Amino acid sequence: MSWKRVCAVNEVAENTLKRFEVDGIAIIVANHGDGFRAFPPFCPHMEEPLAESGLLDGGRLTCSKHLWQWDLRTGDVLGAAEKPLLFYQIKQENGDVLAFVEAELTYDYDEEDDFDDDDFFDS
Amino acid sequence: MKIRVQAKGGAFEFDSAPGEPLLYAGLRNGLSLPYECGTGTCGTCRARVHHGDVDLLWPDAPGLSYVRREKNETLMCQAAARDGCTLRVPAVVGDEIGTVPPPRHRTGEVTLRQTLTDDVVAFQVAIDTPMTFDAGQFVVLETDALAGRRAYSMVNFGAAADRLDFVVKRKPGGGFSRWLFDTDVVGETLRVFGPLGRATFDPREDKNLLCIAGGSGIAGMMSITARADQEGYFKDHRGHVYFGVRTGEEVFYLDELAALKTRFPDTFEVTVALSDAEPAQDLRDAYPQIEFATGFVHAVASAHMAGRYDDLIAYVAGPPPMVDGALRMLILEARLPGSDIRYDKFG
Repeated sequence: MSWKRVCAVNEVAENTLKRFEVDGIAIIVANHGDGFRAFPPFCPHMEEPLAESGLLDGGRLTCSKHLWQWDLRTGDVLGAAEKPLLFYQIKQENGDVLAFVEAELTYDYDEEDDFDDDDFFDS
Repeated sequence: MKIRVQAKGGAFEFDSAPGEPLLYAGLRNGLSLPYECGTGTCGTCRARVHHGDVDLLWPDAPGLSYVRREKNETLMCQAAARDGCTLRVPAVVGDEIGTVPPPRHRTGEVTLRQTLTDDVVAFQVAIDTPMTFDAGQFVVLETDALAGRRAYSMVNFGAAADRLDFVVKRKPGGGFSRWLFDTDVVGETLRVFGPLGRATFDPREDKNLLCIAGGSGIAGMMSITARADQEGYFKDHRGHVYFGVRTGEEVFYLDELAALKTRFPDTFEVTVALSDAEPAQDLRDAYPQIEFATGFVHAVASAHMAGRYDDLIAYVAGPPPMVDGALRMLILEARLPGSDIRYDKFG
């Protein structure tokens, strides 16, 4: 995979986000005013579809399911959010938003990595 | 039987009774397990069964759409262990640092039922062991007459309360509301689990108070405003209550709200939003302390509150579409941080 056209710059108005499909991979493009961000279509918390649950206000994205929030300008986690968003690298070219899609970015909802399987339990 | 929980924050162990929802067993043992509704709708108490078997108490719970069954996930509020089991919970779990004692199982008796409107009844439950709870909390009720559990917010609040007050709106097809409306429930026995809920109010918040409620969502707001009033909160904080119903015939608690406005005319205000009707003149005449408007309650609140969102904490309760509309307004217009927005969605 490589740089892929996701949408035209003017398809995503300021303070909005929209879901697109690129070679069968769903990607959200958000226009935060100072630029764009491209990320997977689900909240890293409980897989809420961000195209519906996501509210964008300036640089701040809120998933309205449990009010997890992120700063899209810096990529930082805000407030109650426990996990960062994953971002596709993007660039603008000839009025289009392009994303570098090597593989689909996904969140590990199982969180196997968070557990030590050598714990004192019977695992 | 022994239940083990592995989570971010450590490993924990507690006892559960046969048939008891694992969430309730963990919470009453003082663990801060993730949950919101406690009754199978929101999906927040999702966990993976790592060892052992569980039975689903309500196999059609809507919140199960959030779990991946192929990964052996379940909802802790709907799962009871057959024998000991180990759960993995994808959240930070620890000892609950609450301001009130952990929830527990109690038995209650319906002592009073009062019709407030054609569609709303208030009822009171005397509990066998006193309960201390925060303003804005709820309990889960169960009766032998019906299958399943229902969550209701208390209208009152208190330290060592021996009576819980509730208000219920008739729901088309709702078994519990039919039971309450159509049978003589006084004297009936209920099982009560609680207190539950983190959308609570503490006067130490020290912020102006915005309450947006639809229908029986006003229950928690009555508790919150009463708690605030007890501390003299409205002497130096503003209070804004927006109460949405469909028509003027469906309003209730206006006497209580008007009385608070009379005592704090400069800091407290109450607006009733009617979604499907113009407010009648006799209603306006009967309650000159209350403002009446037409529209959805979150839209009315948005129009009234513009420019007055400073130093505010917001509470929202009601049917899911109303709560979603209010959250949208509080995030996009009021620009409140998530930590200053607390809500209950009644699924």
